[in-house]
Amino acid sequence: MNSKKTNNQNIKDFLFALIKNKWALTSIIWLFIIIAIAIFASQLAPFDPNKNNIMERVAPPLTLDKQGNMKYLIGSDALGRDSFSRLIFGAQVSLIVGFSAVLVGGILGTALGVYAGYYGKWIDDIIMRLADIQLAFPFILLAILFLVVLGEGLINLIIVLGIGQWVTYARIARAQTISQKEKEYVEAAKALGVNNFSIMFGSILPNIFAPLIVIASFNVASVILAEAALSFLGLGVPPQIPTWGAMLAESRDHIFAKRWWMPFFPGMAILLTVLAFNIVGDWLRDYLDPRLKEVE
Amino acid sequence: MKKLITGVAVVFGLIFPSTFTIAAPPDDTFVVGLPTDTIGLEPAQISSRHTANIMKHIFGQLYSVSETGSIDPNLAESYKISDDGKEYTFTLKEGLTCHDGEALTAEDAAYSFNRVADEDLAFTGNSAGFVYKSIDFKEARADSEREVTIVLGGPNHIALGLIAEVYVHCKDSYEKMSKDEAASNPIGSGPYEFVKWDKGSQIVLKKAANPPIPTNFENVIWRVIPEASTRTAELIAGNVDMITNASPDQVEAIDASSTAKVAKVQGTRRMYVGFHQGPEFAVTPGGAAIQKPEVRRALQYAVNVPAICENLLNAPCTRMTGIVNPNNAHPNLEPYPYDPEIAEYLLDQAGYPRDANGVRFEITLQAGEGRYLNDKNVVLAICQYLDDVGVKTNCEILDWSAVYIPLIKEKKAGPMYFIGSGGATWSPLYDMADLSAPDSGPNYTKWMNEEWFKGWKVINNTNDEYIIRREIDRMLEVFYNEGPWLHLYFQPDFYGVSNRVNWNPRRDEKVDLFNATLK
Repeated sequence: MNSKKTNNQNIKDFLFALIKNKWALTSIIWLFIIIAIAIFASQLAPFDPNKNNIMERVAPPLTLDKQGNMKYLIGSDALGRDSFSRLIFGAQVSLIVGFSAVLVGGILGTALGVYAGYYGKWIDDIIMRLADIQLAFPFILLAILFLVVLGEGLINLIIVLGIGQWVTYARIARAQTISQKEKEYVEAAKALGVNNFSIMFGSILPNIFAPLIVIASFNVASVILAEAALSFLGLGVPPQIPTWGAMLAESRDHIFAKRWWMPFFPGMAILLTVLAFNIVGDWLRDYLDPRLKEVE
Repeated sequence: MKKLITGVAVVFGLIFPSTFTIAAPPDDTFVVGLPTDTIGLEPAQISSRHTANIMKHIFGQLYSVSETGSIDPNLAESYKISDDGKEYTFTLKEGLTCHDGEALTAEDAAYSFNRVADEDLAFTGNSAGFVYKSIDFKEARADSEREVTIVLGGPNHIALGLIAEVYVHCKDSYEKMSKDEAASNPIGSGPYEFVKWDKGSQIVLKKAANPPIPTNFENVIWRVIPEASTRTAELIAGNVDMITNASPDQVEAIDASSTAKVAKVQGTRRMYVGFHQGPEFAVTPGGAAIQKPEVRRALQYAVNVPAICENLLNAPCTRMTGIVNPNNAHPNLEPYPYDPEIAEYLLDQAGYPRDANGVRFEITLQAGEGRYLNDKNVVLAICQYLDDVGVKTNCEILDWSAVYIPLIKEKKAGPMYFIGSGGATWSPLYDMADLSAPDSGPNYTKWMNEEWFKGWKVINNTNDEYIIRREIDRMLEVFYNEGPWLHLYFQPDFYGVSNRVNWNPRRDEKVDLFNATLK
């Protein structure tokens, strides 16, 4: 009963804090909209995003059809594909890649970080030296190398971006685990004969989760940006799959022709979504930091 | 906020890459902006026009073919043909030198021709695969210090023009180099000497000490600028003097600038989609379908070529009727019209009705990106047209140099592939020579039609113009009805040219910088 009450109180506190911060609230609403758009892309998109019609290429925004109905809300691209439909389906790719890669990197990095922090000694040395090696390598270069070898594709992109993120989680999880493993609850678990795996992932992990969540929210933003950059370079997903980065890349030829809308809409989609994840991350960090709460 | 600024910077950095990093060229230097890098600088292994354009500045040829088809002296000053038409003897100019400092003699010229045919070196480029198959090259021999004879298997009406495509290099240097060394260290015989090749970036040449033909600029730099918008930005900024493959969408912007203009020519390159006829693809449903001439014919009606030209190439066009440029084409053949209903009817008749999902058969169409005018979009449009008649087409856009060209060279692209083949206006036989023999280099479709190939014997065994033309027209009818190409268009070429130079493009895509001058 008490626990339920505490949970309800926590949710209330969370919502109250969120409502108080207008930027965070707006960002979360934006992200919910984007997530909903991605989930219901097939229902929301007015056209097949890959259906081209070269007779109606590079149509400007608010182009009407012969009956006077809206046809191309934000224009059409160089092949006459509806940019609005492509933008909607592009949200799918950005979010799938963003969340999946963070999940892959987060699980891998957290597991390794907890192991390194808990066991220390040579296990710690090996994992942390691997992390150092990866950090010494520019990430985009590493991603390009992997994608050239593995080939383009959604799964490969997620793996590459996920592998690129594990180090951050591992370092934080390790540092947090080191500080937690000397605490009484861990000593007590050991004294009761609980095995190491259960202590690491049953007792320590829930206590170090907050900073990892904050990192993850920032990370989604950087992964979306990296996906856009790789798609821009033609190394993301195959050309038939619409992505914001690829839309931006395709618009390059039209900048000189003053077709501003072609880079503008995918650019804004990337900008606003990345910005929203960063603002939410900032707010989560402040919200979950007990020291800042005391100051308040 | 820091992340936001970084994000914005990344986006803008990607949109406007390296626009302001290179300084304008000095007065004695001509800079060309190319869309793709060359695969190598081996004179015996050239397989693309833009590599040939670089090589012709480093290497001399015995003769060279002008835009109008005249055969002009280059390293040689005269030639004679034996009575049986099998031996071409060229007399070299006096005082020629190689870039290694040695005198260039008939022995070097003979060595160059024989090296191309060396089975141990296994060259597959334009010279070995196209020229030698077409002229049935037997051997080359040095008759004296300045006389070299090229021996053919039989008479050939366009041998002189084809021999002009072989680059002369120098025996002493090339005998010392391995094949790999030769691919990146050309020792030339032409007007410009190789200085360096920064792969993926630039090839730098300087004027040779003793150029065989006159030339104006002291230095020529071929810069690799893959993105069309970046090439345009570099041209407008004055950092390059000429760009090839200017994007049709940027023509207005270039013309509106005060620094450059677009020079547009109707090119002779034949753009087509090849239907691979080899057994390796016949095991796939789509590959099997296109083995049937009825299916190939049906697909001709499915693609709206004039719409592609008008909308994606910014140049109205008449669809090709076959392999030969319009001035030499069959006078009575009409281009296939765009009629998807006929396409669907013919596919039904050929035994490929739509299934419950509306699909007749699935097939892959491969293409390289960046080499031809708006190539990626042209290919995606073709895929859409084929989809519309129930042929589910998987478009594979591949890296041009690293992936696509090796597939093409090994004749493994397909079952459908998009490519362009350089053509000429000076003889129909030159265009037809792509299919001079079943195993000729450019027969990427592995087409084996006997009715086509037997025509070459008739043509090469007579000098009667009427019989030759009659046989050409018969072959072109075979190609029209049963050929392995989905007919597209002759590519218009857009060159961006800086206002600081005088330079004129040719229709055959050959880039000559020898006569270019500063304004």
